[in-house]
Amino acid sequence: MHALVGENGAGKSTLANVAFGGLHPDAGTIERTGTIGLVHQHFELAERLRVWENVLLGREPCRFWTIDREQAHARVRELATRHGLEVDPDAAVETLPVAVRQRVELLRELERDPTVLLLDEPTATLAPAETEALFTTLTQLAERGIAILIITHKLADVVRFTQRVTVMRAGRIVARMETAQTTLDEIAHAMVGGDLPQVAARTATTPAPYLSFQDLEVRSGEIVGIAGVEGNGQTALFDAIAQIVPDAGIIPQDRQREALVLGWSIADNVALGRQRTRYRRGIVFDRKTARSDAISIIERFDVRPRSVDAPIGTLSGGNQQKIVVGRALEGRPRFVLAYQPTRGIDIGAAAIVQSRLIEARNAGCAILLISFDLDEIFVLADRIAVMYSGRLGPLFPRDSIDRARIGALMTGAT
Amino acid sequence: MTGRWRAAGLAAAIVAGVGSIAMLAAGANPIDGFAQLFGGALGDVDELAETLVQTTALLFPALGVAIAFRAGLFNIGAEGQLVMGGLAAGSIGAVLTLPGYVSIPLLLMAGALAGGGWGAFAGFLRARFAANEVITTLMLNVVATLFASYLVGGPLKSPAATASETAILPHASWLPELVRDTRLTLALPIALLVALGLRYLLDRTVFGYELRAVGEAPEAARRAGIAPGRIAIAALGLSGAIAGMGGATIVLGILHRFNVALSPGYGFIAIAVALVGNCDPIAIVAAAFAFGILQNGALAMQAGAGVPRDIVAVVEGLVIFVLAGRQYLTRTVAR
Amino acid sequence: MSGELLALFTLTLVKATPLIYAALGGVVGERAGVVNIGLEGMLAGGAFTAVAVSYKTGSAPLAALAGVACGAALGFLLGVAATRWRVDQIVAGTGLNLLALGGAAYALVLVFGRPGASFAVPALGLRGEATLIALALVAALVIDRVLAVTSWGLHVRAAGENPRALDIAGIDPLRIRVQALVLGGALAGLGGVFLSIGELDLYSDGMTAGRGFIALAAVIFGRWTPLGATGAALFFGFFAALQFTLQQSGIPSELMQALPYLAALAALAGFAGRARAPAADGIPYARE
Repeated sequence: MHALVGENGAGKSTLANVAFGGLHPDAGTIERTGTIGLVHQHFELAERLRVWENVLLGREPCRFWTIDREQAHARVRELATRHGLEVDPDAAVETLPVAVRQRVELLRELERDPTVLLLDEPTATLAPAETEALFTTLTQLAERGIAILIITHKLADVVRFTQRVTVMRAGRIVARMETAQTTLDEIAHAMVGGDLPQVAARTATTPAPYLSFQDLEVRSGEIVGIAGVEGNGQTALFDAIAQIVPDAGIIPQDRQREALVLGWSIADNVALGRQRTRYRRGIVFDRKTARSDAISIIERFDVRPRSVDAPIGTLSGGNQQKIVVGRALEGRPRFVLAYQPTRGIDIGAAAIVQSRLIEARNAGCAILLISFDLDEIFVLADRIAVMYSGRLGPLFPRDSIDRARIGALMTGAT
Repeated sequence: MTGRWRAAGLAAAIVAGVGSIAMLAAGANPIDGFAQLFGGALGDVDELAETLVQTTALLFPALGVAIAFRAGLFNIGAEGQLVMGGLAAGSIGAVLTLPGYVSIPLLLMAGALAGGGWGAFAGFLRARFAANEVITTLMLNVVATLFASYLVGGPLKSPAATASETAILPHASWLPELVRDTRLTLALPIALLVALGLRYLLDRTVFGYELRAVGEAPEAARRAGIAPGRIAIAALGLSGAIAGMGGATIVLGILHRFNVALSPGYGFIAIAVALVGNCDPIAIVAAAFAFGILQNGALAMQAGAGVPRDIVAVVEGLVIFVLAGRQYLTRTVAR
Repeated sequence: MSGELLALFTLTLVKATPLIYAALGGVVGERAGVVNIGLEGMLAGGAFTAVAVSYKTGSAPLAALAGVACGAALGFLLGVAATRWRVDQIVAGTGLNLLALGGAAYALVLVFGRPGASFAVPALGLRGEATLIALALVAALVIDRVLAVTSWGLHVRAAGENPRALDIAGIDPLRIRVQALVLGGALAGLGGVFLSIGELDLYSDGMTAGRGFIALAAVIFGRWTPLGATGAALFFGFFAALQFTLQQSGIPSELMQALPYLAALAALAGFAGRARAPAADGIPYARE
């Protein structure tokens, strides 16, 4: 098993897609032997169709002109048992939880008998136990002779399960190592090209109650982290809290769809959300104030390029997210709601974002953090709760709980 | 900048290319055909005035359609809103005996309100029931025409006329001419003012900011506290109001009464105009002028070169077809 | 009494048939992920082409085929625009309507020498009309089955739900979308054929009278399924028949004519939001 690592934006997914054939290269050559399968980071499944329809798409067993459904079911079941990936062939994909959907995607690729299997960030949305199960399956596949390439930024998994590691940075391969002969820190070092950036330190605060929602209690001067696997109701929680506290600083999950207007300038985007209050004079939109606020955010967050009028769509993901976070923290709100604040951004930007959040907490802000990345939860949160199946578990102070226990809670243990 | 010119360039190419082919099919010489077209539209002051009349008639609904597009909404119902506006102006105007400087603004407002209400209704259906505004505005087009037809065929029919129309409006309520003995009236400057006003509205006001946000990033707008339903009603209402005012100007300035034939499809052609103008109010003025040339010149072309004037509809349809890939339209619209 | 009911029943079928064809055409396209506002234009194109060919050749069956071909060609045009050029499908459909309706008016003068309406031409006759009506209902069933149990049907549905998944599976979703639109256009064209040489024997400007848009409403009512859309089309056909029958009764004819549209509006307000379009409906697919 071979891992391809690099931070967000290094070019791993692009490389994999080109190798697979989903993207067409601008230059260079590709040598392929046999078929290649790719399990995407965001699954490419037709949700309203059934499992068998997705798995056998394009290779349906036919009798005359109609599909032989019996045979289709049998084929899927046989494939599933052979690889230890249990699924119900007739289930509609949209009803399945994330880990099972991943199995469907895997089966689809395995159906084609690939010699090489690429997996793009397969554990990003899995609970620790599910990650174990996945790697067991992958190890079995590797033993059967399939070459497995995993793209990931989770170095702990890399060190545990793989035999070789290739590191990419800024679109180039910078290192090739044997896993057994290297350490996690060495890999991280190669990924970032230097030392990992430090995140701001927490200071002592005196938390005071700020928000109480059902069993959830958030206090000023602290960060409450909600851990959990994607798809357990976090979005509903986010939407509910966002409604309760209308003047909160909000950092939504999907910056391009939910937080920014890509065609607009940075200045106009900074005004989004407070166009009726801070950025209005009568019926006129106060672009001047928006621009000056944008300039101050660009300074505080080290946004590049430093142009207030640049269309925000031309910025990298990391810089876009800096604007989103900067806007949320602008005006020193008493409450910040952050959903996956460092999703898909490079390590440097992530460090800046996390630092600003901690600084806000130090200054007395109450922060509710929802994240699928356990590492991030442990970096930021003062108290941690786990969300499972729409229910919020009890809050634990950060020192009183370990990853194993949280992992168990994430898969439903009590 | 470049986007605007590309649209215009493509449109011009289509007009030239397809127009030539169709002219050949009709047995006419394309050079002769185009000469007749442009000569007919721009040849002398009277013809230029008439071209500007067509420009104005297209400009109102095109501005309306563009506003809706900027909000991410498809107003295919400009034709019906135009009819409703004309109906309001014609029926009220027929019985209003006030001096011009009172009656004209009043009737224009009436037209705007009628068209605006018609558009806002579609917006309401979209806001409250998630009803697809493409279908609702299309349906409302037909309902508007049928409704108006019923009214002027019966209850509002002028006793003096044999045709189904309202009574002729008192002279005081006629829009003043800009050029003598032509149909070109104050409607043109009014349209230009509306265009400028819309430009300001979109770029400088908070309402315009919110409208554009909904059009370009509906999810982000929602999170920013902008209610999509409110914008739908407001945008379609404004869109309909402008088209309705256009209908009123046709009644007050050209026909001086209302009948259901007041628009030869301006509301649909306006879609092409809005696209060629890249949904920008100022560019749309230029686009409307170009289409005005087509509309006016077509008659001369038919008379002079024997090319049936429906070719213009074909060309306009093709322009819409090809230009449908404009920047405001290729994002996924939340439905 | 029963004679009147029978007449109403027959008239319903006659009025509904072009709607059924157009609606089926709409369903096929939409399930593949392309919104087809151009049904009106396809109806008009099919209707006019049939009359023109019938006039020139004297053969009504040949004319019918020509009408279908015209519809298919328009569908192809829309398909290419939606896939290769990635235009906005709704606007392109509107353009297509203007284009087809204007083109028909234009060609009307070219072929028949006068605007407004054509001469009477050889038509399909009573037997032909009945065949087309029956064929419409059969087509509904056939298309329903094709979508549900055939490979191609599955590919069409995948193209409408997640074209990238189809692409990964090695099938070009763009090709599927164009195919679906060609089929859809052919069906709508057949509906137009019925309008001009099935029900009548001529073409007149504006004879489609918004039926393409009613068909769209039928697609939505019918929740994007062939049988549902057919049922909705029959429902609307019933209203049209009712309007015709009640003509003598003193109710304003405009009100009766408006009934299908009002019914569509009411239903859109009532049904909307509950049914879901195919997930990728209206979204152009881009190969990178």
